Amino acid sequence: MTGLTLGIPSKGRLEEDSRQAFARAGMVIDRPGGARSYQGTTARQPDLAIRFMPAGDIARELIRGSIDLGVTGTDLIEEGTEHADKAVLSARALGFGKADVVVAVPNPWIDVTQMVDVADVAADFRTRHGRWLRVATKFTNLTRRYFAKHGIIEYRLVESSGATEAAPVTGVADFIVDLTSSGSTLAANGLRVLEDGIILKSEAQLFVSRAAEWTPMRKAQLEALMSVLNWVPPGLTTQL
Amino acid sequence: MKPPHERRTALTHLVEAEGVARVNPPMLLEANQYFDLAGEEFGRSLLMTAANDGVEYCLRPEFTIPIVSQYVAQGLAGSPVAYGYMGPVFRQDGSGPHEYVQAGVELLGQLDPEQALDEVFTFARRALSVYRLMTPTIRLGGVGLFEAILANAPMPDVWRPRIRARFGHKDAMSRLLDRLADSHAGKPDTPSEPIDRESLADYVAEQMVAAGYSPTDSRLPEEIAERYYEKQALAAAHVPLATIDLLRLYLSIEGRAAGVLDEIEDLASVYKFDLSAPLAALRHHNATLKALAPQSVVMFDASFSPRLEYYTGIVFEMEAEDGAVLASGGQYDRLLQRLGSSVPVAAAGCAVWVDRVEQEMIS
Repeated sequence: MTGLTLGIPSKGRLEEDSRQAFARAGMVIDRPGGARSYQGTTARQPDLAIRFMPAGDIARELIRGSIDLGVTGTDLIEEGTEHADKAVLSARALGFGKADVVVAVPNPWIDVTQMVDVADVAADFRTRHGRWLRVATKFTNLTRRYFAKHGIIEYRLVESSGATEAAPVTGVADFIVDLTSSGSTLAANGLRVLEDGIILKSEAQLFVSRAAEWTPMRKAQLEALMSVLNWVPPGLTTQL
Repeated sequence: MKPPHERRTALTHLVEAEGVARVNPPMLLEANQYFDLAGEEFGRSLLMTAANDGVEYCLRPEFTIPIVSQYVAQGLAGSPVAYGYMGPVFRQDGSGPHEYVQAGVELLGQLDPEQALDEVFTFARRALSVYRLMTPTIRLGGVGLFEAILANAPMPDVWRPRIRARFGHKDAMSRLLDRLADSHAGKPDTPSEPIDRESLADYVAEQMVAAGYSPTDSRLPEEIAERYYEKQALAAAHVPLATIDLLRLYLSIEGRAAGVLDEIEDLASVYKFDLSAPLAALRHHNATLKALAPQSVVMFDASFSPRLEYYTGIVFEMEAEDGAVLASGGQYDRLLQRLGSSVPVAAAGCAVWVDRVEQEMIS
């Protein structure tokens, strides 16, 4: 296959917003088989293969280079690789899907307002409780990097694939690192974001994979696609 | 020039020398003990796999912990044993998974712990000399010395463990010292709330119940109330600026060991600290290292320490000209009890990075 492959989130608000964004930029993406089909088409770019995929898979495949470009969140890219700059190139921030990856602790922890407090609590938690302080998250890599930056090593991660905000109440973990847009889910679960607890501000972006095979031919195809979209100034491919 | 396998054979003789028991811990180890001892930061570098029953394993990332665990499990704790090892270890970092070869010794329960450390130094020098790296730069770090300075320096007791916990992490340490210094310049301290500790704990407990938290599974209401007051007390209990200056000055000290140790001794006499024991130990090891021919440069770096709290006394690295770490180790008296020994056991050891050493010889 010589054409480019574009990954679009396969469901929910992200799918709608992505398709709208492309439509506004002049490229209407059709999904002929409806929500059960995972192939898309666009009238103006017959050679462009459009695949509907979960946003997490899009991030992973961009990093691997098995798709050429795709719409996904900064959080998923940063979680997927320690070297996001080397793995992908951001062609355009799309202005939707805005959310923060944050460190949140139970409200009753009135003595913990900053990361330095977490460091202090972590340091003697094991002596007090006979186990490590536990943090539930699906962002294990982001959490490790952020905690390491703050010099916190005395903790254990509990991988959580959903409903992370419930982990402290159910006793699975002591506090969490999670994605939040309005903070209302956190508040409803009695959790509070630390003052310096924003690990990452995320939003949906159109990413170009650096790991994909960029022959002169395919670079030209990418430039052509970008000029159709009229989003990105020419010359993007010089950065690949 | 000798072919590489002959040099490996020479290295084998070192780890199987007389009085040294060569051991071969399993390649597949339970990951839990690494997370327990070293936390998530080291955990990041493990190559993990999970058994069908969910128990997590890792490929052997180093030798010390399995060797010491085995020694404790066999009921040997306290008896003098010297172990030698050589074999592959597995780590991963940003650039992917790696297989390295490590060779090293662990001297446990030796009657004279300082002599044991000298033997470790001698082993490392000999191992490097197999690869014609005759004069590595030796960098010493003083865990015991830093702990002695902390114990001597005037400050509220609550701060000592907090400062100790950051030793070996330059950024975290300087952030903490900055924060401690800022607290002097800052706004006047907020007066503590006019409620007593018990009612504050009750208030926290009520909040926990209301939000559905178990008041016993995680941090306890009393613990939170206690730390809340402690934090206020901490904000009020300033670490004297003179102490912060001293710690900053001390941690910036780095240079040829002999001169630097004199400097630290002068510092100790100005502040009237008793640092005689850790300084004497450092001077002794500097002297024995200098006595090994051909003579290497011995540096002392006050802020150098592995970020693992079980290291004690003296730690070291041997470096190539380009700064690559060829061997590292030191004393780790606190590890044995962490791994279940009921008695304190002195321990010293080191690991030589065989691939790097081979690489250095070629370049």
